[in-house]
Amino acid sequence: MSACENPNVDQDALMTRRQKFDGKTKICVKCKENTGNIVIRYAVYCKSCFFPLIQTRFRKSLEPSINVIPDGSRRKGLKAAGSLVIAFSGGTSSTAMLDLVAKTYFAQRTGDTEERRGGKEHPRNLDRGVWKGKPVVCFVEVCGAFDDQRDRTDEIKAVVGSYPGTPFEFIPLRLEDAFNPLWWKQVTGDLSTSALSLGLDMRNEDLQLNQSTSEPSPLVALRRYLASLPTQTALYNAIHILTRVLLLHTAASRKASHLILGTSLTSLSVNLISGIAQGAGFSVAEEAKEEWKSQRGASVRVVRPLREVGMKECAIWDWWCGLHIVGRSRKFIQGGGRSAIGALTRDFIFGLESDFPATVSTVARTCAKLTPKEGSDGICVLCERPAQHGVQAWKSRISIRSYDQASSSITGNTRPPHLTETEIANLTLTSQDVSALTPSLTPRLCYACHTTLTSRSSRGTVHSGQSPGNIPIPTWVHAALQPTVGNEDSSDDDEDAEITQSTKLSQMEMKAQIVDFLLDEQ
Amino acid sequence: MSTISLKIEFGGGLELLFANQRSHRIDIPCRVSTDNDTTVKELNEKEAKAVDVSYLVHHMRDHMLKERAELFMENGTVRPGILVLINDTDWELEGEGEYQLKNGDEVVFISTLHGG
Repeated sequence: MSACENPNVDQDALMTRRQKFDGKTKICVKCKENTGNIVIRYAVYCKSCFFPLIQTRFRKSLEPSINVIPDGSRRKGLKAAGSLVIAFSGGTSSTAMLDLVAKTYFAQRTGDTEERRGGKEHPRNLDRGVWKGKPVVCFVEVCGAFDDQRDRTDEIKAVVGSYPGTPFEFIPLRLEDAFNPLWWKQVTGDLSTSALSLGLDMRNEDLQLNQSTSEPSPLVALRRYLASLPTQTALYNAIHILTRVLLLHTAASRKASHLILGTSLTSLSVNLISGIAQGAGFSVAEEAKEEWKSQRGASVRVVRPLREVGMKECAIWDWWCGLHIVGRSRKFIQGGGRSAIGALTRDFIFGLESDFPATVSTVARTCAKLTPKEGSDGICVLCERPAQHGVQAWKSRISIRSYDQASSSITGNTRPPHLTETEIANLTLTSQDVSALTPSLTPRLCYACHTTLTSRSSRGTVHSGQSPGNIPIPTWVHAALQPTVGNEDSSDDDEDAEITQSTKLSQMEMKAQIVDFLLDEQ
Repeated sequence: MSTISLKIEFGGGLELLFANQRSHRIDIPCRVSTDNDTTVKELNEKEAKAVDVSYLVHHMRDHMLKERAELFMENGTVRPGILVLINDTDWELEGEGEYQLKNGDEVVFISTLHGG
């Protein structure tokens, strides 16, 4: 059967599964001597060739970005501008990454004899001193986001401390630190009281910022923030964003030049597809490689050194090296997020990797070629990635933003099933009712973050019908709003910003607009 | 009924589905039903085959798995994202589910679903 038959015409026409490995023998394609032990994208490798292969791919992805100005992959001149922060989740690929970093750059010398062998320019000694200071392993515990989840910080600490000579410093973070002014004070500085008292009104798409009198604990604030999100997809995406930005600010506070993430090729493909599906197509490039600047101007290069290594290779590396996988929060992996876009994409990509392994790298390579058509309009205050120019104007053109007939529909049968009566009532509040004098978060968000906070779904609503009016916001959002809120003189940019408003015109009004171009009927 | 002895190991957090025990020793029959039914008491030789990995996966689901079979199996085989090593070799090199098991074989199941 041909692989190109049309399954719509012939029900039995399915794409034929390709043989799992090329060649007629099981001999390693590299040494051509040993019997193979693993198949990586149709190529067979033996166990002894597997380790240098993965290490080479790891170095090839990381080393060209170590120097401030890329200098190819020359190892001799590798010198980072600052220290190294390693993001470690305890999952399969970050465990492999930590091991690779330890073995490649911070391996302990076996004895004094070896210490003396070769001068400082000898290739054996070149890997030392690439990074300034002691490398930091940073772990973000997400158990605060869920009920009944165990804290894995001690287990992670034990894994990090298990490397000979304890080359790594361990910094444990918690997801709720994102709402903790004390954490922000440690990594950046104080927040003004006026900024701290801001809360988010999520009752409509303007996302007004109100003054709030309550000061919940970081954990309560995190729970309230997550509970206010409209969908399961938004919940898991928000955890992702909080984790990422916590790591970035921690790296900046440590004067790190590089933050490395254990995103494997498989995870990268999942993140790219799921990001695009959630409206983050504009930051597709940042998903693979990112140069992040803190609000104070510190620059951190975010690198994913395993972006050429699949999840399978990471898992096999861990197994053959006897590494302990602590695992990520079970609920975060398998739990209630099964209907979330991220989980659905993960299932799709894992299935793809199992049946047609090469297509997963095709996803990543294709996305690497994508560039946004329009320029950036500053940085999103929530995810701290470049935001697309004129997002709201574009959004207003492509989507229905208000539900004008809602009041009459509430009692009828035409009410959209995913909206409650209260939500419709809130949606029908015109912006003039509430927004004229209060600052809004919407213009400061990228399309994906605005969608995360506001896009409702007919399924998977976390707390259906809840329209909270005073939701805590992460500390970095407070900090980004600091100069403009409460200081009206400094908002020159806002005054110059393009303001668009959509109004439904009557037929007569529309005709009046184009009257000069109409031909006489006679 | 003659049996063979196997060593089963779990990695990557998959042991959580199997009573949190990483290593198991099990005995399974040499001849099994072609439809991988693990409850057959008397085997009809016409519908029998030498025990293979496909049967082992069904045996593990029916007799060893403690919870949530859908996280281990899908469409009659292991779920995508679970790797299998037979005697330290990728099962894709050994014919996957069709590999005929021998006495003393070591089979490792590694989950990659714990992600980054």
